[in-house]
Amino acid sequence: MKVAIAVLFLLCVFRLPAQYEFFAPKEAFAIEVSLDNTSLKRLPIYRNSISSLIVSGDQIIGGTTADEKLTPFIFAASLSKREVTGIIDLNEIVPGQRSISTGFTKRKNNILYAGTLPDKEGKGEGHLIAITIGLTEGLSIKDLGIPIPGEGIFALTADAKGNILYGISYPTGMFFTYSIATKSVKTFKDISPSRKDLRLFSEYLMNPEDYLCKALMEGPNGQILGSAPVNKLFSFDPVTQKIKIFKAELPEVWGRRSLGQIECWAKSKSGTLYAGNAGDGQLMEINPVTGEIRNVGKPVMMPRLRGLTFANDGRLYGIAGALPGYAHLFSYAPNKEGFKDYGNPQFKMTAPGIEQGIDWRGFQLGTIASSEDGKYVVMGEDEALSQLLIFTVGQ
Amino acid sequence: MKRLGPENVCSSAYNIILVILFCLAAYSGSAQDSVSAKNIRFIDYYGFPEGSSAWDDIGYNPKDNTVYVGITDHRDKVALYIYDASKDSIKLKGFISDLAKLRPYQWQAKIHTKFVAGSNGDMYFATDGGESREEYLMENPKGYSGGFMMKWSPSDEKLTNLGVGLQYESIKDIDIDTATGRIYSISYPQVHFLVYDPKANKLKDYGRLGSGHVPRMMFTDKWGNCYYVDWRQRLVKYEKGTDKLIFAEKSLPAFAGTPGEHIITGITAFAKDNKNGVIYLITYGAKVIAFYPQENGIGKTEDLGGVIDVPGKPKWNYYVPNLNLGNNGKLYYIIGGHGNYAKKDQSLFVEFDLKTKTPKVIFEYASTVLVEATGCDTKDKDGNMYFAGKRNVPRSSGKKGNLAELGDRPTVPFLIKFNPDKKVQ
Repeated sequence: MKVAIAVLFLLCVFRLPAQYEFFAPKEAFAIEVSLDNTSLKRLPIYRNSISSLIVSGDQIIGGTTADEKLTPFIFAASLSKREVTGIIDLNEIVPGQRSISTGFTKRKNNILYAGTLPDKEGKGEGHLIAITIGLTEGLSIKDLGIPIPGEGIFALTADAKGNILYGISYPTGMFFTYSIATKSVKTFKDISPSRKDLRLFSEYLMNPEDYLCKALMEGPNGQILGSAPVNKLFSFDPVTQKIKIFKAELPEVWGRRSLGQIECWAKSKSGTLYAGNAGDGQLMEINPVTGEIRNVGKPVMMPRLRGLTFANDGRLYGIAGALPGYAHLFSYAPNKEGFKDYGNPQFKMTAPGIEQGIDWRGFQLGTIASSEDGKYVVMGEDEALSQLLIFTVGQ
Repeated sequence: MKRLGPENVCSSAYNIILVILFCLAAYSGSAQDSVSAKNIRFIDYYGFPEGSSAWDDIGYNPKDNTVYVGITDHRDKVALYIYDASKDSIKLKGFISDLAKLRPYQWQAKIHTKFVAGSNGDMYFATDGGESREEYLMENPKGYSGGFMMKWSPSDEKLTNLGVGLQYESIKDIDIDTATGRIYSISYPQVHFLVYDPKANKLKDYGRLGSGHVPRMMFTDKWGNCYYVDWRQRLVKYEKGTDKLIFAEKSLPAFAGTPGEHIITGITAFAKDNKNGVIYLITYGAKVIAFYPQENGIGKTEDLGGVIDVPGKPKWNYYVPNLNLGNNGKLYYIIGGHGNYAKKDQSLFVEFDLKTKTPKVIFEYASTVLVEATGCDTKDKDGNMYFAGKRNVPRSSGKKGNLAELGDRPTVPFLIKFNPDKKVQ
């Protein structure tokens, strides 16, 4: 009895005042992707911010963004081996690029498509690239060339058949189409900001990365959806080759209309489309035909909604918040608990030299993707030395 | 024990107990070695009864032979004390929030950085959110706005606010390149390495270097390069000649079985031997290491062994957040704190003989005499070494509780002055 009282006393005295516990689902882990000055297969400092991410079979494929005057990488990591398996320096294939931030579009034949941004704005062009994923492991990259002279590629997707790529150019914000077979390019200036828009953005000291459409999505009828300055939703019809700008605007926090920008999309199994608004971090449900937008709400206080992905538990997982605050992993289940905030994920990172494992806390997460079976959710960090954080989801 | 302040913070009965315990500790020490109670003195602060602790915030100013300490209530009040070693007097210079003209939303809970001296005798430090409001409310307006870098000019007794490091982030440690005046700092909790040039008012963020737990210590070499560690406990050097971070290929030595949370925390203490070009380090894995810096590239390291070895306790599991190098060429450190003690509720004051690589306990203190000490490389012109100490006091003393990680016990801070070769009483 005395022992029990003593233990109870100690538990009271040494109680922790913590107001949270770290999200730590079973089998969660981190993969060390970046480490400077090492013989291990790792990315060096300042060239590894994981700005594009996809999972194909057992392979996680990442594309990075580098600091100024540095060049990015494409890398692969194995979910089962929990380690980096391949690294390709993009500079060896397409020189002078700084960023692969369009995400990857995968359609057929294990080929991924992405676009790049040049290192020097206005002094170079972005390229389209095709990445072929090996059957077991290994990647190869093919340069598809420059779709628009003088412009980088800010957003990219493809049609369901994998014949046409659709993109947004940077910095002028043109919509373009690219035929993979013929390599022909068409440009559309309908959604480029007008002079009046540019005056508005200038008034708020905003740059193209603050207002151009950051992500595109293919709708059920093959239409391509995205945001257009200022705070609008547009749809491109591949049959008529016309752009329609919908009347309804993206949801705004009062006074912040100029910040509206779609930066991610996700499609549920039933075809419901969700998008994230960078401006104030609202999750939106979008009717691709009517252009109606339902403001689902804000998962956290801070702006940004950097990524969305569905997992096999039916929940929509996303990354909300960013610098100068902290990224939060959240989920949204419309018929269950609604939003749920998991905060900064912290998973165990094990690798040669740190076999005992160290706790890796994800402060700034830039990308999120699910495995094809929806069992794994993978997050990529946006840091000077970025790693992957992975957790499993039950049925 | 000599009291220098006008404020009496302890009850008479408690003082009597304290004296008895201290005498016992001193007797224990004197029985083992020539170092005795006469070689150590505990100096109380005054004027801030709510003050409970100091964190690594102690430093020496060679310009006027003074020792600086920041004392905090660990809530929103931080006092600046300066001990004049020549005059043997301590003075409360004021409270940081008043001296720096901070507004309520800019509250600061403590100074966690050391105090470092600039070439002209100005002293630099930075502030920290250090309590639940920062840890959990974070970027919420009820949370923490961010830590400031600050400069105290002793010539005109003026505190200058040099601005925030990163928004919402504390600053855990700083150091300075005395040649250029550039300030190095590390943020919390995101572990960003920052370099600030006060002359140009330019702050550059070199990115995140760690993750789950922030290493608390950075240090410079004689050329003004700055050192930190990454998550693998590898030295990271900011090389001022190239304006780049360079990483050691190998991790600092660690005992087999050292857990990851100790590895990721890196270095907890350092002391410089400028004459011989050595910087001594202690890790959170309880290793004593000699580091030989070089102007370009990362120098070699030498494993000097463990901080102590108590039977039945893992060699890596000792907490040493302090280190000084005596003029006799021996290292001095105090083991214990944050609930981790070599002996139950006992702080051990250790002398480490660098020639034989052996530690020797010279004082043992009950937690009611000394529960934890911080402070690195703080030595005056006469070879007196200083640590920022604190002791547990009964809840009945009227002091408010401390952090849960310290056992929720109220503590009273004091300055430790020690010289193995001279009487300091």
